[in-house]
Amino acid sequence: MFKVTFAFEDGSVVETYANAGDNLLEIAREANVAIDAPCSGNASCGKCRVQLKGGELNSKKTLHIADEEYNNGWRLACVSTVCADVTVLVPDIASAYKSRMKVADLSSKEEIAIFEKAKREIELTGIMLNNSLDVVEVTMDPPSLDDTMPDNERLTRALRKFLNIKRVRIPYAVLKKLPDVMRDNNYQVKCILRTTPNDMFVYDIYGMSEDVVVCGLAVDIGTTTVSAVIINMENGEILAKGSAGNGQIRYGADVINRIIEQQKPGGKKKLQDAVIKETINPMIREMCKSAGISRNQIYRMCVASNTTMNHLFAGINADPLRMEPYIPAFFKTNSLFASDVGIDINQDAHIIVAPNIGSYVGGDITAGTLVSMIWNRPEFSLFIDLGTNGELVFGNSDFMMSCACSAGPAFEGGDISCGMRATDGAIEACTIDKETMEPTYKIVGEPGTKPIGLCGSGIIDVISELFITGIINPKGKFVREGRRVKHDEYGMGSYVLAFEEEAGSVKDVEITEVDIDNFIRAKGAIFSAIRTMLSSLDFDVSMIDDVYVAGGIGSGINMKNAVNIGMFPDIPLDKFHYIGNSSLTGAYLMLLSTKAEQKTYELASNMTYLELSTVPTYMDEFVGACFIPHTDTTLFPDVMELLNQ
Amino acid sequence: MPFNQKPQKFNAKINTVTIGSGDKTVSIGGNSTFPFYSFDAPTANTAKVGVEISDMGLEGASEGIKAYYEGATTMAEIAQKAAAMEGADFVALVLEGGDPNGENKSVEELIAIVKEVADAVDCPLVVEGCKNVEKDAELLPKVAEVLQGRNVLILSEKEENYKAIGAAAGLAYNQIVGAESAVDINLAKQLNVVTTQLGVNAQKIVMNVGSACAGYGYEYVVSTMDRIKGAALGQNDNMLQMPIITPVASETWGVKEASASEADMPEWGPQDERGIDMEIMTAAADLAAGSDAVILRHPQSVATISKMIKALA
Repeated sequence: MFKVTFAFEDGSVVETYANAGDNLLEIAREANVAIDAPCSGNASCGKCRVQLKGGELNSKKTLHIADEEYNNGWRLACVSTVCADVTVLVPDIASAYKSRMKVADLSSKEEIAIFEKAKREIELTGIMLNNSLDVVEVTMDPPSLDDTMPDNERLTRALRKFLNIKRVRIPYAVLKKLPDVMRDNNYQVKCILRTTPNDMFVYDIYGMSEDVVVCGLAVDIGTTTVSAVIINMENGEILAKGSAGNGQIRYGADVINRIIEQQKPGGKKKLQDAVIKETINPMIREMCKSAGISRNQIYRMCVASNTTMNHLFAGINADPLRMEPYIPAFFKTNSLFASDVGIDINQDAHIIVAPNIGSYVGGDITAGTLVSMIWNRPEFSLFIDLGTNGELVFGNSDFMMSCACSAGPAFEGGDISCGMRATDGAIEACTIDKETMEPTYKIVGEPGTKPIGLCGSGIIDVISELFITGIINPKGKFVREGRRVKHDEYGMGSYVLAFEEEAGSVKDVEITEVDIDNFIRAKGAIFSAIRTMLSSLDFDVSMIDDVYVAGGIGSGINMKNAVNIGMFPDIPLDKFHYIGNSSLTGAYLMLLSTKAEQKTYELASNMTYLELSTVPTYMDEFVGACFIPHTDTTLFPDVMELLNQ
Repeated sequence: MPFNQKPQKFNAKINTVTIGSGDKTVSIGGNSTFPFYSFDAPTANTAKVGVEISDMGLEGASEGIKAYYEGATTMAEIAQKAAAMEGADFVALVLEGGDPNGENKSVEELIAIVKEVADAVDCPLVVEGCKNVEKDAELLPKVAEVLQGRNVLILSEKEENYKAIGAAAGLAYNQIVGAESAVDINLAKQLNVVTTQLGVNAQKIVMNVGSACAGYGYEYVVSTMDRIKGAALGQNDNMLQMPIITPVASETWGVKEASASEADMPEWGPQDERGIDMEIMTAAADLAAGSDAVILRHPQSVATISKMIKALA
């Protein structure tokens, strides 16, 4: 056994032991050391860089590490094996994705406003904002030698009388509390009930004098980020909000890699634990603390996520999702309870899952569609969720069509050499001076934070600016030279946003031709999906009345720049609306309102799904869109005018 | 009811590109109709036929081809015989020996051959590289340099090396730039866009939009050429109005129908005939789909195709 020490830039260390020949990335995973490995350890992405600080390591040399870097100790964790005691430094850029867990007792005004607006809009459509959870006060006669009914029957009879429903279910957790609560409170109690026309279920019992808040938990499980709110089920008030990186990231950045990982022995448990035990449960603990409630007071949960994520969350084999004919285990299910999956809330709590439409259009989209309100308007709207998979819904109150395209992880910083999620140190906005070619940027985090990399909105800005200033050509290749344009030994160009000395990292923050190419493919996938879906309906982009953009790309997304690079259609900018994390907002509405939940099921079953891979012209549209702004420049008249200026 | 012809008129036309210098030049493109639709509008320039010769001499050539070049020992003599072939409009020299995965001849060695051929004939010339993008990026600018004044067509720049080749051939030495893409209308247009953005005159670009031997996924070739002509004429897309040249021989002589010997495949008949058939079929289809020029090897193919062009003009 050899001792393996992972050191972090903040000075902390994690120590573990391993056998000779053990893979360093595997050891890191087992020791819960977060090293970003979007390619799942295939030596193809070059992101799992660590620096050898002491001891020895058997490492293969790869293209991703230059000679000089190799001499300075840089290695890829995925091709390194242990052969002696060793100490490696895990740089911030590798662990930057694991955004520090953020919990706020009351979210910012803007964020609250999003939920309030969604609530108002839903109410205006006539959907009632109530649910089947209730608190009822019950007074019973105390038992005596003449009245020897047991406690559970006493409560059942009292509830029956009260609500005139025959079937009353009292679970073990309540039965256990029953004798004490009834006697301590002189047979005057409050019950938390779920009532349906046929039965009632007693979730909990309290003394009459106790102040009881019935809480619910809405969670959006993104491939990259998980966000959640705890709400008061009576009035929809948000009690706490939190977000964290999805712990599954270390098993791969995209859903396909994770599906492959869950197929390995013990994989389903590993991935389920990563999202529940390591991500959601700690968030629940923190949020409960800040809201001042007990975890047991959360009696219902709603999950909105893509199809793969809800399968992995439920511990269900997701492999059929990636294989033809792409069939999920469920579209809609109501057989999931907290105790089934180990979510740390009231163990009898029911988990609502936003319904899936297909393998690649999941509950995050149906929940988002509910929020976008496109189903309630006669105007034609386009809803775009920019994630690892780009999903689109187009339609109005009469029809809706959805499709999914594989955009890759580029919008969230994956597949981009200096890409990162929108956490501290990410460049989120940028402009470039046409004459001097010098950049000016805005960085996420406290003032003075040094740039580490680029997040999605930053990449859009940089590419748009490079193109408008004529530094790159429409293919994304560098055509101007200057201090900030570099070429490597193979002639590949790159633009340096921050030289090593200005950056908060160990190397230059730069964007390369390969990065730009990857991003062009991602934006090409989105644009060609829009065009293909519209043309399958005999529509063109001029008929779109509104575009709702959702997703974790960040509220900082500059719509003009997104149009400039040909990601979105060239239509008036006032038609674009950023609606934030619509998946979470949708989960919130489904949790709060049983009618909204039913509406979502209805939307899901009414939505047509267009499989792009079966449309013969999609590939053609895609190749045409892999150009800035597009091979057919007549589609982008405003951008061309801007270029001619 | 009498037949009433309604010509399909376009307000656009394919660019005319003239290859060669002095008295002997050849013009391709210039038409405003679909291929051979001379009933819609007069044909400005008929399609042209080039004869392919290689820096590797007659190595690997079919019996019929060898017979035609009998007695020619130097590259100069081979070139002269090629130029004299019945139906030939120009000569296309392929520098296949430059391929690093093959003979890997040096740039100097190949340039000597280019000079020898250029000095031997005064007909219009097309020079093709070895298809390796790095080697071509080094070799073809040199070719453009030594042939200054001859107004040759350099085949070809690709997306990976368009800067080096496009700049040398199109800007520095005023030759004609061949832009090669892989059977896709969008990729063809994208290469034209970036090449013209480099400063190359759109009137000095000829496209090679890629080809295949008939029967080998050839439908893609037809639809690509057809759509390019449709966009160039119907939508007046000036980034697709460059004439198209298609090297046919290099596609057809490599397939098993042309390369299997008669000893191996007695039921298929004489090898030479099969090769000619493949070459003629493919060339005819390329021309009907939109090629403004084709490059062939066998004298019989050259004669047949040029006869077909005359008959349909």
